Amino acid sequence: MKSPLLVVDGVSKNFGDVAALSDISIQLNKGEIVGLVGGNGAGKTTLLRLLCGVYRPSNGSVRFVDDGEDKSVDEVRGRLGVVPESTGLYSRLTAWENIRYHTRIHGRDDEKSWSRTYRFAKSLDIVDDLHRPTRGFSRGMRQKIALIRSIAHGPDLLLLDEPTAGLDVTSARKVRDLVRQLGDDGGTVIYSTHMLSEAQRICDRIIILHNGTVRADGSPIELLEETQTDDLEDAYISLTGDEARSEPIEKESTLSSILLGIFSGKNRSQNRGEEE
Amino acid sequence: MNRPQIVWTVTSKELLDFVRDWRTLAAMLLVPLILFPIIFVAVPMFLQGEAEELGEYSVEVNLLIEEGHEIPTKLMELLNSSSVIIEPVEVNFDNNKSLSNHSIYRDEASLAIRNGELDAVMLIRTGHGNATENWEYVIFSDSTDELSREARSRLLNQIDIWEDVIIDSTLSENELDRDDVYDPVTWDGTIEGADIATSGEQAAFTFALFVPFIISLWTATSAVQPSIDLTAGERERGTLEALLTTPIARSDLMWGKWLAVAIIASASVLLQLVGLFVAIRFLAAGILTPPSVSIVGWVLFVVTILLFAVFVVAVEMAVAMRARSVKEAGSTLGPMVLLFVGPALFAQFVNMESIEAWWFIAPIFNICLGMRASLLGDVSMVHAMLWMGSSILYALIATGWASRQFNREDLVESIS
Repeated sequence: MKSPLLVVDGVSKNFGDVAALSDISIQLNKGEIVGLVGGNGAGKTTLLRLLCGVYRPSNGSVRFVDDGEDKSVDEVRGRLGVVPESTGLYSRLTAWENIRYHTRIHGRDDEKSWSRTYRFAKSLDIVDDLHRPTRGFSRGMRQKIALIRSIAHGPDLLLLDEPTAGLDVTSARKVRDLVRQLGDDGGTVIYSTHMLSEAQRICDRIIILHNGTVRADGSPIELLEETQTDDLEDAYISLTGDEARSEPIEKESTLSSILLGIFSGKNRSQNRGEEE
Repeated sequence: MNRPQIVWTVTSKELLDFVRDWRTLAAMLLVPLILFPIIFVAVPMFLQGEAEELGEYSVEVNLLIEEGHEIPTKLMELLNSSSVIIEPVEVNFDNNKSLSNHSIYRDEASLAIRNGELDAVMLIRTGHGNATENWEYVIFSDSTDELSREARSRLLNQIDIWEDVIIDSTLSENELDRDDVYDPVTWDGTIEGADIATSGEQAAFTFALFVPFIISLWTATSAVQPSIDLTAGERERGTLEALLTTPIARSDLMWGKWLAVAIIASASVLLQLVGLFVAIRFLAAGILTPPSVSIVGWVLFVVTILLFAVFVVAVEMAVAMRARSVKEAGSTLGPMVLLFVGPALFAQFVNMESIEAWWFIAPIFNICLGMRASLLGDVSMVHAMLWMGSSILYALIATGWASRQFNREDLVESIS
């Protein structure tokens, strides 16, 4: 039986009147590579920010399990590695200085950090770029540096927000291989992407987010079985767009209720509540 | 890693990032270093050069004199010696009108000056009085034209000298000299020698009138750019989010950034003082007397500036952190600098004699008055404690407020 590493229990996140996430409950196990799949505005980034403690849940809790003991995000943040949506590199610093800044904050020794950085840089073919200022780096290069920065301190859980966005085919494959390697070495990874094919290639498990709710959670095969489809794209459409096709009248009334809500001052979460 | 180490990690990274930007480096460190040398040396030299350049020009003046009268020889000599080219013209004046009311000549002068044919027109006629000779005159000139202004200035200077000659001649006829008439009550000795303040103390007094203002102005403005860059800038560039996912506490992040900006702003201000010192000691040696300020006075002066920098940096960082973008931060902090500069300017005119104690706890005023008192060597223990204590208190309040801004959840998103 797999041991849990992260437990998200009934988490909701509201920004003013807008509900970004509603009642999310998921569990991540050690050594899993979990794909977080969803369209724009599905809530992937919000969920990742909640998991790494940038946001606090409006309701529910996020707990890390460490030797059977529950811990808060703040207690284990040093064991997380995160590649945010924007890579967040300082353009006047070199790639290595960017990485070193984060490893120092994590309390890691420069020598050991350099040795890990060098190893990962070699696997991504960017050793020669480590001492160049990141100003002028391509999006792909920035993604690679951000990825190395997130793993240079040796995290237990890696949170990646669209890590292959903007990468060419070869670079994207190298990043995926590296992530897969980290998973094989026992690391736990949450991999946010809007590309199902990518999630299918490297993830053990896929969580489909839609409009701030979890629509499905299982291995690629389980998702296919659940939706009785042949490929994940159909499964995704079935899971996220089925309502629209099977319940046109209700959807129409939903649209009407949204419009009415806007003009009568009702908020989106209230509307969602009415839908449900 | 303990907290100070983490804070220093942030600070050292920010300083490294700062020194890599040569434009900011030049603006923050080079400009303050050369500001005072420019004010004390380059500006006077430039003005002198410009004046000399203007002095090399000859000016053309029409001298309108009453028909049948000669231009006074002495006046002619003086005008010729100052590169004034005179064209005498005999005219008739209306004795019932003042010279400036002769509109026909005024209009002709106006036309000629505006066309560039002449630089000034002088009207002169004999006057009434008991001097050896009496004259009346007026000069038509254009105060917006450099050469016309120069012509007027030269005419007035030479007329002053000519007038002195007439006065001396008149006094001589009556067996008097200048001192009998103008100086019957005489200061015996030199005025400078009677001032018990040393020249150094006098210099310190003069400095106290404007140096605190310039320094507080620079402190307030020098912290603006790094404050924005390290907060709203980092937020806008997306680098803040990556940082917030690390185990660093937000308060430590704030302290690290605050320390970096405070170091930059303080370095900038201290370099300004170095520039001031170099300007007085070396560049303007012999022209300016170095202010005599005690060691304690200098220490208090520097500590006061540093406390002000601490306060200003915290306020500006907190405001910048609240802004939705770099642009908004800039448009908020720009006018906000006036809130610092306004009281600083006003504080220069506060009478230090029997000053009420509350002035030394009023924000901004306390700093400027503290600087003035330090330079003047007029520091009372109570006042020093008040301005130091209140400055520390304001700095703590400001950093507390800045810390709260860094703890906002929406730090990585726009605050709406």
